[in-house]
Amino acid sequence: MKEQERRAETENDQAMKLSPDEDLMLEVRNGAGETLGVLFDRYHAPLYNFYSKLTGDRTLSDDLVQEVFLRILKYRQSYQPGTPFRAWIYQIARNARVDHYRKTPRHITFEPHMVAPVMPKDSAQQLEETELLHRALMQMPEEKREILVLSRFQELRYEEIARLLGCELGTVKTRIHRAVQELRQNFKQLERGLAPREAAPAVVKTIPPRRFGNDM
Amino acid sequence: MTCEEIGELLPDYFEGSLKAPQDDLVERHIEECADCREEVAIWKKLSLLPVEQPSAGSRERFEAMLDAYQTGRNDKASAGFVPEKRRSAWNWLRSPAGAVAWSAALLVMGIFAGNYWGSRTTHSNAGQDEIAAMQIELTNMKQLVVLSMLQQQSAGERLQAVSYSRREDQLDPQVMSALVHTLRYDGSVDVRLAALDALSRHGAQPQVHKGVVDALQEQQSPLVQVALIDLMVEWRDPDAAQRLRNFVQTPNLNPTVRQRADWALSKLN
Repeated sequence: MKEQERRAETENDQAMKLSPDEDLMLEVRNGAGETLGVLFDRYHAPLYNFYSKLTGDRTLSDDLVQEVFLRILKYRQSYQPGTPFRAWIYQIARNARVDHYRKTPRHITFEPHMVAPVMPKDSAQQLEETELLHRALMQMPEEKREILVLSRFQELRYEEIARLLGCELGTVKTRIHRAVQELRQNFKQLERGLAPREAAPAVVKTIPPRRFGNDM
Repeated sequence: MTCEEIGELLPDYFEGSLKAPQDDLVERHIEECADCREEVAIWKKLSLLPVEQPSAGSRERFEAMLDAYQTGRNDKASAGFVPEKRRSAWNWLRSPAGAVAWSAALLVMGIFAGNYWGSRTTHSNAGQDEIAAMQIELTNMKQLVVLSMLQQQSAGERLQAVSYSRREDQLDPQVMSALVHTLRYDGSVDVRLAALDALSRHGAQPQVHKGVVDALQEQQSPLVQVALIDLMVEWRDPDAAQRLRNFVQTPNLNPTVRQRADWALSKLN
């Protein structure tokens, strides 16, 4: 009897792990809060990366991920059946970030913990390139950085991004192109600035922090 | 093709969704144009940025949040109708017997005071006002006793609270909502039935009416379900037919309850 129950339970677990996000969210909506755990497993790492690449702040990213799941619980009744869950959760994620900055005005500074923490252990050159790239990205206005993060790291399709940002598909493509252009400019400038003192890891301090206005 | 025209195609090219012949056009262009080539290169380079891992305690934090949230909700559902402050302020009312004794003492005091004032100033309104005020206070006191007793752990005491509430012709809205709450969420079938009985006399109150009719969909006990259906027929609730039609759609409905609901529907039509 016990054995059977256990087997039924594992089967249930497995079925749950294969269910589409939307079905799981409907269960959460109907009161099965524990089902949210499966969605957490699926989404917390991508969301963390979305935030950490966007804000460069690991602690804040952890906090915001938790906030997203708390909001899902609070507002689960507003999830409409048929809505793609991915679009919905990213919408919540964006709002959580905006609300956070509304409460705590942003001070973007290059603190040591904000530099990409885990660097690939390949060649020294690649290490340096990665760091430059990270900084080139962080120098961009958040709006442009966001569209790059969404398209390059979150693997959202352009249509999904268009829906998320509330703009046309063509606009998304134009904005991605412009963002890539700017990233390239920043990267080149950093490369040039670095050239004379190649192996200096302390460049972090030499780059003036860029202030972002409330242009989001 | 100009860089501008190529630029329009680049995002699709990045995504790998560009088809021939445009695909070839872009590739030929970037062979010749250093600027566009660099753009493609920087896009590809972005893959160098590592995928970061959330902090180790992330899952535990989530679990704790989920637990806290669900516990909070359950607490609210089972005991949330008396505000926290009121409950602690009336903590001394915990023992129902003590509370009743206190009310009785007040009543006696009220009668004595009333008699005293009444005999001293025979035609004065002041004395009568005082007595009326006392009586109102006493009623309030009794209502508080009911409220406090409805919170008791033992079903017997909650049952007693419900029967106390029946002695009043006029019920305080707070007591009424407490009774509706008891009808919906009390763990004991007997207490729920008693609450329904007490509420049945106050069907004219829209608050009660709605609470009772709404309770049908959530009830699990066939006894309470049947009693609710009967009351809906008795009240000739305008929504009753519609609600019962929805109700009989519920899967796994007890056959007796279903029969009763069908009977009620035939009565209402």
